[in-house]
Amino acid sequence: MKTRTLSLISLSTVLAACSAAPVRNDALDLARARVEAARADTRVTSLAPDELGAAASALLAAESAAKARGKKDDVSHLAYLAMQRAAIAQETAAGRSAQAITAGAGAKRDQMRLALRTAEADAAKRELASAEQSNASQATALAVANERGAKVDDLEAQLADMNARSTERGVVITLGDVLFDTGKASLRGGGAKMSTLADFFKNNPGRTATIEGHTDSVGSASLNYALAERRANAVEGALLGMGVPGRQLRTRSYGPDTPVADNGTAAGRQMNRRVEIVFAPRSEDVGKR
Amino acid sequence: MKTPSSIGPRAAAYALLMACATLSTVAFAKPPVSLAPLAVAEASVQHASTANTSADAPRELQIATDKLAAAREAVARRDHKRARQLAEQAELDAQVAELHAQTVRAERAANETQEANRVLDEELSRTSAR
Repeated sequence: MKTRTLSLISLSTVLAACSAAPVRNDALDLARARVEAARADTRVTSLAPDELGAAASALLAAESAAKARGKKDDVSHLAYLAMQRAAIAQETAAGRSAQAITAGAGAKRDQMRLALRTAEADAAKRELASAEQSNASQATALAVANERGAKVDDLEAQLADMNARSTERGVVITLGDVLFDTGKASLRGGGAKMSTLADFFKNNPGRTATIEGHTDSVGSASLNYALAERRANAVEGALLGMGVPGRQLRTRSYGPDTPVADNGTAAGRQMNRRVEIVFAPRSEDVGKR
Repeated sequence: MKTPSSIGPRAAAYALLMACATLSTVAFAKPPVSLAPLAVAEASVQHASTANTSADAPRELQIATDKLAAAREAVARRDHKRARQLAEQAELDAQVAELHAQTVRAERAANETQEANRVLDEELSRTSAR
C-alpha cells in the first residue's frame, strides 16, 4: 500500500513535470477521432442520437480523467469505452438505416407488384382492344368485299353448292352432260350455275381455272376432241360474256381420254360427257403473278 | 467457586466486544470487491454468443470473449481494478459484436430486397413496353 502511494506520488511528479504539454494518449486520440466521425455522420445523428450521446459522455469522462492527470491506463480504459460507444452508435445507425431500406423497399415492391398487375391488366386490355380492332378491320374488309359482291373468301364454301370437290389437281367443278344437247356445244341451260361461277371469278380475280372438255368414247376420237374443245370453249365464252376477265380462264380438250365412268353403259357414258372447271391452287396463282 | 452471576457481566461484555471486532474485521477490514461488472460482462458476452454473431462478427465476438477471459484472470490474481476495467470493456465489446452482426444481416436483407425490386422493376418495364 505504501509503495503504491509512493509510486502514485512519483507518477504525479513526472506528470507535473511535463504539465506544460498535454499528455499524449493514443487511445484517447483514437476515441476522439471515432466520436468525432460519429458526430459528423448524419445517419448517426438522426438514427442513433442516444447512442451518440452515450459515446460523447464517455469521451468527456476520458477527457476529464486525462485533464485531471489520471493514470494513463485509466485514461486509456475510459478512452476505449468511448471508442466502443462510438462504434455502437455507428452500428446502431447502420442497422437501422438498413432496416429502413428494407422496409421502404418492401413498400416499393408492393407498389411495383401493383403496377405490374395493372400493367398486365392494361396489356390484356390492349390485346383485347387490338383483337377487337382487327375484328373491326376484318369486318371493314369484308364489307368492302361485299360491296364488290363477294360472299365468302373460301373457295370450297362458295362452290359447295356446285358440288365442287377437292382433287390433287385442285378444286374441280363438274358441269354435267345435261347442259348440252347431244353432239352440240351450245349450252342448254344452267344459267344460275354459270352466273354463280362468273361471280366467283369476278370476286376472286387472283383465281385462275382451266376449263376441260371431256367426252364419252362413242364416235371417232378426233370428233370427240373437237366436240370437247367446243364445249369447253362454249363454257369459257359464257363466262367471258358474264364479265369474267379472260386471263383467269384457259380451255383444254381431253376428248375421251379421261373417263370417270364405264363407257359400256348409258349412265357411264353420260357421266363421262362433261366439262370440268379445275381451279389452280392458290399458291400457283401467287407463283404465276 | 465462581458463580456465573459474579463473572457473568464482564465475560459477556468481553464476548460482545470480541464479536464486534470480529464482525468489523470481516465486514470492513478488507473491503469486498464488487463483482457486478464481471457479472454484467458475462451476461453481455453470453447474450452475444449466438450462431449469427459467430457467423457475421467472429472477430468482434472473439475480442469480447478474450477480454472476458482476461477479466476473470485479473479477478483470480486479485487485480480487482483491472478486472473491473476489462469487464467493462468486454461488455461493450460484446454489444459491438452483436450489433455488428445485426447490421451485417440487415444490410444483406436490404441488398436482397433492393435486388428483388430491381428485377421486378425490369419485369415491369418489359410488361409496360409490351
